[in-house]
Amino acid sequence: MVWLVLSALALPIGIVLALVVAPVEAFQGEPYRILYIHVPSVVTAYVAFTVTFVASVLYLWRRGLGYDRLAATSAEVGEVFLTLVLLTGPIWGKAVWGAWWTWDARLTTALILWFIFAGYLMLRAWIGPHGAAASAVVAIVGFLDIPLIHWSAVLLRTLHPRPAVFRPDPAMPGSMLAILLFNMAAFVLTYLALLGVRLRQETRRAELQAREETA
Amino acid sequence: MSYVAAAYLLTTAVLAVYVWTLWARQRDLRRADSGRQAR
Repeated sequence: MVWLVLSALALPIGIVLALVVAPVEAFQGEPYRILYIHVPSVVTAYVAFTVTFVASVLYLWRRGLGYDRLAATSAEVGEVFLTLVLLTGPIWGKAVWGAWWTWDARLTTALILWFIFAGYLMLRAWIGPHGAAASAVVAIVGFLDIPLIHWSAVLLRTLHPRPAVFRPDPAMPGSMLAILLFNMAAFVLTYLALLGVRLRQETRRAELQAREETA
Repeated sequence: MSYVAAAYLLTTAVLAVYVWTLWARQRDLRRADSGRQAR
């Protein structure tokens, strides 16, 4: 509950900072403000899928159902944030590049990640916890796409800009960087709040199902 | 509508729909729980 309240406070503050307080960027103008939701959504999706990856490895190693539930719920919330990335990115692209979509390496690998985890969630919906091991393998293989997405903009020639924040000398003024970091924290906080709710729901659902089966 | 407004509204809408699905699932769990206790 505390996480939900904190994220409900942090998200609107972050939006006001991004839309009102952040200075206008000289080259892109107003559309650059999409950065304050696009980049935090990417970071949050990566955090969520990393949790899914670690929990899936732990499930295969220890076979604890708690790890399986953590992997599944984190993937679900991560998919929501990745959807935000794939919705806000094309809007930003249309404003700056003049095109909604281009099949360059970074955009394509991000779309592939969305399909991998959509498949993962569908697999879970069809076969349920009995297919936990199979879905853990899908999650581990799917996670390997994330380094590919990150390095695609560095190693290949793409229309998408190279990472500007996660490097020793961030290519961004302090006033913009501070607001971006605040929004990243707000988005990750929201992820934790949503994950907590989903995890409790899944644990309760499993308890009810177990009681139904023993009754 | 500006691109910025569209992006922020869409983000808010997606998060709101997801939170609504959580609320719906919570309601279903409560119903299942109270149904089990009634039996």
